[in-house]
Amino acid sequence: MSDKVTLTPLNTEPEIPAVRGTRFHEQNISDPRTETVPNSALYDADPTGHTDHDSDPNLQKLRELLFLREMELLRKLEKRLNDPLQHAQETSEVIAEALLLRSQQKDNMLYTAFEPMSERLLNDAVRKNPMDFVNVLFPLMGPAIRRSIAETFHSMLEGFHKTMEQVFSWKGMRWRWQAMRTGISFSEVVLLHTLLYRVEQIFFIHAETGLVLSHVYNEGVVTQDAEMVSAMLTAIQDFARDCFTGKQESSLDSLQMGEFTIMVERGSSAYLACVVRGSVPLEFKEKLRDTMIALQLKFADALNSFKGDTEKFLPARWDLENLLDARYADEDAPLPFWVKLLPVVLVLLLALGGGYLWHNVQQQNIAREEAKKYMEASFSQVGNEPGILLVEARQDAPDHWEAIYLKDRFAEDPQSLLDAKGIDPETYTLQVIPHVSYEADMLTKRVKERISPPESVSMVFDKDGTLYLRGEAPMSWILQARQEALALPGVEKIDMSGLIDPRVDELKRMIALVETTVVEFPSGKDVPVSEDAAKLAKAINTLVDIEKLAGSMNVTVNLTIYGHADATGSSKFNYEISQARARTIAAMLYNRGSAIPIAIYGMGSEHASQEPSEYTGNQTSRKVELRVHLAQLPSDTVLNILH
Amino acid sequence: MISKKICMIGAFSVGKSALVARFVHSIFSDQYLSTVGVKISKKVIDLNGADLTMVLWDMEGKDDFADVHMSYLRGAMGFFTVADGTRRETLTMALRLRELALETAGDVPHIIIVNKADLDWEISDAQLADLEASGIRIIRTSAKTGLGVEEAFTTLAEAMMKN
Repeated sequence: MSDKVTLTPLNTEPEIPAVRGTRFHEQNISDPRTETVPNSALYDADPTGHTDHDSDPNLQKLRELLFLREMELLRKLEKRLNDPLQHAQETSEVIAEALLLRSQQKDNMLYTAFEPMSERLLNDAVRKNPMDFVNVLFPLMGPAIRRSIAETFHSMLEGFHKTMEQVFSWKGMRWRWQAMRTGISFSEVVLLHTLLYRVEQIFFIHAETGLVLSHVYNEGVVTQDAEMVSAMLTAIQDFARDCFTGKQESSLDSLQMGEFTIMVERGSSAYLACVVRGSVPLEFKEKLRDTMIALQLKFADALNSFKGDTEKFLPARWDLENLLDARYADEDAPLPFWVKLLPVVLVLLLALGGGYLWHNVQQQNIAREEAKKYMEASFSQVGNEPGILLVEARQDAPDHWEAIYLKDRFAEDPQSLLDAKGIDPETYTLQVIPHVSYEADMLTKRVKERISPPESVSMVFDKDGTLYLRGEAPMSWILQARQEALALPGVEKIDMSGLIDPRVDELKRMIALVETTVVEFPSGKDVPVSEDAAKLAKAINTLVDIEKLAGSMNVTVNLTIYGHADATGSSKFNYEISQARARTIAAMLYNRGSAIPIAIYGMGSEHASQEPSEYTGNQTSRKVELRVHLAQLPSDTVLNILH
Repeated sequence: MISKKICMIGAFSVGKSALVARFVHSIFSDQYLSTVGVKISKKVIDLNGADLTMVLWDMEGKDDFADVHMSYLRGAMGFFTVADGTRRETLTMALRLRELALETAGDVPHIIIVNKADLDWEISDAQLADLEASGIRIIRTSAKTGLGVEEAFTTLAEAMMKN
């Protein structure tokens, strides 16, 4: 404060001017210079601010005389303190210095006071304008995040690649078995088999103090405290040197422990210690040496003036990480070219074999399908043959069929029809059920069998079931065949109009010849005139022939002989002579040995024509007439046949 | 990050190892002491808000200092020489070792620790006061109670940081 108010202790309590308000009071308390002033001395007043002395005008006067200046000062002070604006202005002038002073004290009070506020401020600011913070942080965080992500991805991919390579190979499975058998973890087994070498850890160590300057290690390597390890390594080297050489310049180059080697590469004031698993290749040793030289040069000053500050050696990390090498064996031993090709060849062979098999299967399927179609078609075709009906054809096994046929007695054997089609009888079973077919072919065969027609007869069925017979056949057969054929199922009608019996014609011709023969007689005589003798003989012969022919045809022949007389003479005589004339002919026939039953009628002159001469009469009326009858055949049938 | 190599030397059976056992961290067993002759431990202390890593080389106690692996002292940035308050000769040994250490490590901060403060001592306060008067820092400790151990580390650390 620029204007300092000094209150000196007063022994005369009542003379102290009363000051209203509490600010002044507080201010006084915090001011060490007022410590000795008893509060009561300043505030011995009633709440209204009026003391008993106020009423005394003399005392008031004295007070003014004595403390006029101080009272003025007090009033100013009171005004200042009660004016917040002025108070703030004054505080603003000293607040920075005050904070600085307080921060130098080690009581953390400022920090405690500001911490929640600054936290809230930062939170609010970030919430309100996050982009501002992003913009500020991005250049710092971006590269770091990118690098971190890239490294994570890299190691992850490497690990993944390695694992995939091992897990899905035959070798991998073998190793898994080994891991299960021995109880070693699979990754350890893989490492044992594939690792040629791996740099597990690298220590960059200050030679004299044994303090670690930098330490890097490979992914997944279990490490111990680098500082202690570095110190111990240095101690061991010192120990070895002390015990075995005693020479300061000599050094331990490597330590071998089982599969681990600790390689030491010395610089003038620092050394690199690498923990390597597996056998170390020569080129790595060279790389190690080069790195050591480079580091020695790079950090020459820092190394020489080293007092324990390892921060300066942070950049060495990049050099060291380049040394974190690892090499894995792809194969146990280099394989000949053809062995490497073997899987390819095998795969090709498998593919070819598979393709061939597939093709064969396809072909077999096609062939099977075709065979199936052929079988179905064949069974069906046989079923369409006359008199055969296919009830069912089905495949009861991949290569076997069963067929059921209905077969007419006159139809061909389905088995032989199938044989003719070249179908192996082993591939099917047949069931044949007899039946009667109404098909024309079958009917024809059935009729033929029943009526046995002569070769000269042809038969035709029309669709209405009418049987047409054509050609020449004996009458007896014709008559019998008609009956028999009509008895057969399927034969509705028979048309025999096309059938001819040649003997019937002969018979008809001979009968006509006989019946047209007129044998005349001399008047009053029963012996024919000599001119007609030959005619008569011929007729007699013909009758004999007729008898024979009709006999062969199972037809009985009857003969009626009518005798006639002319109108001359008596009627009685005429009957007698006409009868005698008929008898003459009959006798002649008998004489020829004929057995034809003959009926003789003497017609007298009933049919005599008018004579030109009353006395001589008409010779043509003196005659005999022959009439032939075919008997023992139903006349209507015979007529029917004949016409 | 600051690291310091400090060594701890002393006569046989002055209680060096016991002294630090409760206060430091080590990955190595005590067998190292009798084989390699040194056991490495580590202690990180907070010095004015910054971490200081003290790599402690606890050297095997010998009654004959000719047997001491002095090469372990090379590069030490500070050291303790430990004496046993109940055995006067160990202080003598400590003083001689101190000189040897100074020869090897150079003029580095160091403290003479007189251990076993919880027992009756042969070494008198006057003796120690004389030494202190000659500029040697001395700290009385008890491995049993832990008395003075942290102080010893902090004092040496501060001295080393100033150095």
